[in-house]
Amino acid sequence: MKAIGIIFVLMALAIGVVPQFTNCSAQGRAIELPGGRTIPMKCHWTAMAAPAVAVPLLIVGGLMFFSRRRETLLALSLLGAVLGVFAILLPTCLIGVCASDEMLCNIEMKPTMIFGGAVTLGAGLVGLVLIGKTRSRRFTEAAGSD
Amino acid sequence: MNLIRLALRNIAGSSFRSFMVLLCALLISSMALTTGMILFGADNSLRLAMERLGADIIVVPEGAADRIESALLLGHPTQSWMPASVVDRVAAALDVQAVSPQIYLATLSNASCCTVSDMFLIVFDPRTDFAVTPWLEKTIGGELRLGEVIGGTDVFVPAGEETIKLYGYPVALKAKMEPTGTGLDRSLFLTLDTAQEMARVSKTKAEKPLSIPQNSVSAVMVKVRPGSNPRAVALNISVHIGGVTPILSPDMFQSQRKELAGLRNGVVMALMLTLVFSILLIGLVFSMAANERRRELGVLRALGATRSFVFRVLLYEAGLLALYGGVAGTALTILAVMLFRKLIIASLGIPFLVPALPMLAALILGGLACSLLTVMLAAMLPAYRTSHEDPSIAMRE
Amino acid sequence: MIVLENVTKAYQVDKQNRVVALQEVNLEIPRGAFLVITGRSGSGKTTLLNLAAGLTRPTAGRVLFEDMDWGSLPDHRQSLLRNRKIGFVFQFPSLLPSLTALENVALPRIFDHGRARQGAYERARGLLRSLALGDKLGAYPRQLSAGQQQRLVIARALLNEPEILLADEPTSDLDEQTESEIMELFQRLHASTGITIVLVTHSTQLIRYGTHSIKMADGRILPCPPAEM
Repeated sequence: MKAIGIIFVLMALAIGVVPQFTNCSAQGRAIELPGGRTIPMKCHWTAMAAPAVAVPLLIVGGLMFFSRRRETLLALSLLGAVLGVFAILLPTCLIGVCASDEMLCNIEMKPTMIFGGAVTLGAGLVGLVLIGKTRSRRFTEAAGSD
Repeated sequence: MNLIRLALRNIAGSSFRSFMVLLCALLISSMALTTGMILFGADNSLRLAMERLGADIIVVPEGAADRIESALLLGHPTQSWMPASVVDRVAAALDVQAVSPQIYLATLSNASCCTVSDMFLIVFDPRTDFAVTPWLEKTIGGELRLGEVIGGTDVFVPAGEETIKLYGYPVALKAKMEPTGTGLDRSLFLTLDTAQEMARVSKTKAEKPLSIPQNSVSAVMVKVRPGSNPRAVALNISVHIGGVTPILSPDMFQSQRKELAGLRNGVVMALMLTLVFSILLIGLVFSMAANERRRELGVLRALGATRSFVFRVLLYEAGLLALYGGVAGTALTILAVMLFRKLIIASLGIPFLVPALPMLAALILGGLACSLLTVMLAAMLPAYRTSHEDPSIAMRE
Repeated sequence: MIVLENVTKAYQVDKQNRVVALQEVNLEIPRGAFLVITGRSGSGKTTLLNLAAGLTRPTAGRVLFEDMDWGSLPDHRQSLLRNRKIGFVFQFPSLLPSLTALENVALPRIFDHGRARQGAYERARGLLRSLALGDKLGAYPRQLSAGQQQRLVIARALLNEPEILLADEPTSDLDEQTESEIMELFQRLHASTGITIVLVTHSTQLIRYGTHSIKMADGRILPCPPAEM
């Protein structure tokens, strides 16, 4: 389970950090309105929302490292999987990124979030299966003789 | 309980060792598959681009070959010109069956945020064209009308609009071509009439007017007579027509092919090194594991397991780890390569399209086989030595 | 049942050093006996047991199991004999940690292709119940006490209804009370089934549980007083 915790932490860092440097606002690009005002593009808001997924995922990953109880690990795996789904949905359905394929948000930010989300989801599901297979601790560990 | 279930339990019981072997298997399959996907994908891309261009020879202005190849391959627009009279002279050359001129233009850079900027415009003459027109017949059942264009797969109409504005002139995107993985995916194909109309409108409507030099072309597409030698035709053209460079289809994109060859060598070398180090590392891990488990395996022998059984258990463990790692590596690689395709193209400077399903399936199997063979090979010697050890010695502390 | 004829066993420790664990040992273990072998550490007791089970080859002499020379049998035949006819109780923790109690006990049956595996779990359950481990079927070895683990090992040794049980210091890690429980278990087993038992121990206290005893020192069997063997 430590391995799954590590995967969660690594993916959280990717999901949270990469968008901050690869959205169009970070590249100095924005939508110019007729009056001369500029407003940020969709990818900017996706990058703002990314930490909302990444930070909980980081915590979940950290907790997986130290938890031993089966029920806790199951809950953490499930939570991780759900956060993975949100990481995929943010740049695709929920907010989105720029339409143009050559924009950095499309080349780097969106694939990173989708990849990170997919790996997180996969790791969470694997965790659910593996932990689900272990028996709950009906027997307490006996010490010494019977 | 049987041999496989015992192997599975043993894997689960030694999680760190199993994880290390699984990680190696993941890396091997991932690396093998990535190598195959990129190399075959690049080949695939170049082949599709050649088919899209449809010509046996492309005659371009002398000195412009590299720029034009780069434009077609990577979508970096370029403009180069030669006199229109070259078209007739090429048509008159020996064994030339058909010729068609093309003009290469570029859109304005830094266009509005959500359209493709720096788009490569390929202007063709529908009366003589033999590459795009057949495709148009098949796809839209006719010809392009004034103001209509066809685009590569990445071209799109901005959201909320019905046309693409080029130099202030609205054009309707009539159809999109299949992907090639090259710059052609970000190109627009338009007729000469549309281009000339665009140039006229741009004088008043565009930030910077479009200028198409009179009586000039950028390239001449050449189809040779069936059965003739394209190389001889190209040589003939270069000898008799000055100021031009004929590029043969098979020789097209030479610099990219050289880069690809260089990349291939480098990547294959890296793969070989990875395999060698993995075999050593996995062999070490298995030796350590076998050493730690000598007593346990000695007990199995005492309980009635044959040498062959112990050997097979250890190999099954190795094989299962290789399979898990291989499948995980394959899944991650396909996901990553598909998601980061554009980044790979931009970083490596070569076009790349995910290979078609049959080739992809073969590459996946190849990657899995690589992973399986490497791990099994590495595990074989420790497994043999352990299974053939004197059980009484194995059980001594 | 088991005969050692002039058996010597030497181990090559390194290029220069050679350890002679057994020297010209002659021993006949009759069917139905409960033989207790005593001696200090390094006296050759474990080596004798391993030779008796065919787990190692003698450097000189031969070891016969039911009139068959271990050395002349191919590996698969040896393994089959060990699986079907010999039960082993080890000194060290020998349970597979990744298997449950039930799976550990049933383990020997998976090595025998000739016999049905379905019956193994039934028999294993029965054995565990008879050894007061009926409620520990799904437990892993780490969840059991030392005494419970040793009973588990005995159950495993008895799975295939062996003709001979070889026990190497089975009580060395146990407290006095548990030790006597285990020894009484062996005694009951011997009395009820007539199984041949060879038990190796450094404790002379345990000689009283057996029908025969020998003492070993420096790789030899010490001459015994007329009353003992």
